[in-house]
Amino acid sequence: MSNIIEIQHLNKSFGDVHAVQDLSFRVKEGELFAFLGVNGAGKSTTINILCGQLSKDGGTVTIDGLDSVRDENAVKERLGVVFQNSVLDGALSVYDNLQSRAALYGIYGDAFRTRLAELAEKLNFSDFLKRPVGKLSGGQRRRIDVARALLHRPKILVLDEPTTGLDPQTRKILWDVISDLRRTQNMTVFLTTHYMEEAAEADYVVILDSGKIAAEGTPLELKNAYTGDFITLYGLSDEETASLGMEYEPIRDAVRVRVPNTEKATELILSHPTLFRDYEITKGKMDDVFLSVTGKNLTGGEGK
Amino acid sequence: MKTASVLIKRNVKLFFKDKGMFFTALITPGILLVLYATFLSNVYRDSFLAGLPEGISLDDGLIDGLVAGQLMSSLLAVSCVTVAFCANFLMVQDRANGTAKDLCIAPVKSSTLSLCYYVATLLSTFLICFIATGLCLLYVAIQGWYLSVVDVLMIFLDVTVLVLFGTALSSVINFFLSTQGQLSAVGTIVSAGYGFICGAYMPISSFGEGLQNAVMFLPGTYGTALMRNHSLGGVFAEMEAQGLPVEVTDSLRDLLDCNLYFFGDKVPFPVMYLILGGAVAILVLAYVLMNRFRKKA
Repeated sequence: MSNIIEIQHLNKSFGDVHAVQDLSFRVKEGELFAFLGVNGAGKSTTINILCGQLSKDGGTVTIDGLDSVRDENAVKERLGVVFQNSVLDGALSVYDNLQSRAALYGIYGDAFRTRLAELAEKLNFSDFLKRPVGKLSGGQRRRIDVARALLHRPKILVLDEPTTGLDPQTRKILWDVISDLRRTQNMTVFLTTHYMEEAAEADYVVILDSGKIAAEGTPLELKNAYTGDFITLYGLSDEETASLGMEYEPIRDAVRVRVPNTEKATELILSHPTLFRDYEITKGKMDDVFLSVTGKNLTGGEGK
Repeated sequence: MKTASVLIKRNVKLFFKDKGMFFTALITPGILLVLYATFLSNVYRDSFLAGLPEGISLDDGLIDGLVAGQLMSSLLAVSCVTVAFCANFLMVQDRANGTAKDLCIAPVKSSTLSLCYYVATLLSTFLICFIATGLCLLYVAIQGWYLSVVDVLMIFLDVTVLVLFGTALSSVINFFLSTQGQLSAVGTIVSAGYGFICGAYMPISSFGEGLQNAVMFLPGTYGTALMRNHSLGGVFAEMEAQGLPVEVTDSLRDLLDCNLYFFGDKVPFPVMYLILGGAVAILVLAYVLMNRFRKKA
C-alpha cells in the first residue's frame, strides 16, 4: 500500500503556544487511521493544516503525491471533511444545502441529482430532502454532513469526532457506510474520536500529546506495548484464588488477574493447570493504552 | 460562473429565510415609521406652517405631500444602507458558525466566495429597497403627489447609487468581523446610528456646526440630500407656483437638507453623485484588495 498522506516535521505555533511540534507520520491508502489526543493536543490544528484552512510554520504535507500548499486546489478535490459540529445552513433544506456544496466542486444539474440519489439511498435520507437542516435530529443531520463530505467522491474522508453524541443506531449506519466505502472504493479514512472502541477498529493509531506524537502503531502493537493482558477466572474459591499468588480484582462470579503479557499468562496457566477450568484471556483496551501513554483519560467514550 | 450563481442563490435564500437577519434589516425603517407616525410628521407640519410668511396659505395636500416626501426620502436613504449591512451579515455569520470553513475546504477561490456575498447582498438589498420605494411612492400618492416622471426616475437612481454604496461599505466593514458578538454590535450601531448621521431622523441643519461639518465628510450624507431633492422638488415647485417666494422655498431647502454646504460652499448635484460614485469605487477596490491579500491564520 502506498502512502496517501505524508506529514514531515510539521510545526505550527499560535504566539507562544506550540500547537504542533515536529510532527511526522504517514497514512496508507485505504486504511482507517485514528488520530487521538485530548482537547488541545494538536489534532484540530493538524487537520486544519491538512485541509488548507491553516498555514503551517514549517514542514511538509503531501497528499496523494501533491504538496498541500503548491497544489492546494487539487488536494482539496481529494479531501472530504466531516466537521465536529454540523456546519450546514440550518435555514435551508437538505436539497439546497447539498446543491450549493456540490456546486463548489463543479457538480451541477443531472450530475448532482444522480449523486444525490446515490447518497440519499446509501445514507437513507430520501424522506427528508425537502426539510430544513435545522429541523433535523442530530443523527439525521450527521448523515447529511457525511453526504456533503462524499459529494465529490473524495479519496480521503476526514472525520473529526463524527459520532460524538449520536445514538447507537445512527453510529452503526455511519460506520456501515464508511466500511462499505473503504471496501468498495478503497477510501482512506482519517478519524479523530473520543470513542476508544472506534479507535480499536483502526488499522493504525497515532496518539498525540501536547503537539507531539506520544505513541503510534496498530491497536495490537499499542496494547502489547502499553497495557498487559487480563485473565478472568470463573468458579474459583477464595483459597484457590489466593494460591495463584497474584493480585486480583474480584468481579461478579469471577476474579480478574492482570499479567504483563500473553507469555506470562501462559506461564501462569501451566503452573496452576487445575485452577484454569473456566477462564478467558483478553488484551487491555485502547482506553488503557491512552491512559498509559498520556496519563489522561479521553472524555466522551469508554474512557470517561 | 455556474458555481457563483448557485452560491449567490444560496446567499439570497438564506437572507430571506433567516428571520433574524431579515427583521434586523427592517429595524431602522421601522424606527422611522414610528417616529413619523407618533410625532415627527406633526412637528414638521407645525414648524413649517409657523414659518410661512403672513398672508400666504397653502393647500393641506401640499403640506401633506411635503411631510410624505420627507418620510420617503428619510426612509429610503437609511434603508439602502442598513438593509445592505444586514444582508451582508451572512458573510460574518458564515464565519461565526463555521460554515465559511465548510465552503473554504472546497477548491473554490476565496475571491469567488467574496464576490458571491457581494452580489447576493446587492440583489437582496435592491429587491427590498425597490419594493420599499414602490410602497413609499404609493404613500406619497395618497398623501399628495407632486412628483414628475423625472423625479421618480431620479429617486430610483438615488436608491441604486445608495444601495451600491451601502453594499460596498458593509462589505469592507464586515470583512473584519468574525463573531456573533461583533455582528450584533455593528448591527446595533448601524441600525440605530446611521439614521442620525445621514440626517434621516433629524435634519443635518439642526445639528451643531461642528457636527454639521463632520457629517459632510461622510458620503451617505450626500445620498440623503439627493433623495430629499428628488422627493421634495415637485412640492417646492408647486409652492412657488402657488405664490410662495423663492427665498422662502430656498430657506426650506436649506432647512430640509436639500442644499448641503461644505464649509460654507454649496455642493452641486453632480458633485454629490461624484462623491457617492467615488466612495463606491474606492470601497469596492478596498474590498477586492483586502480579499486578495488576506492571509491564512
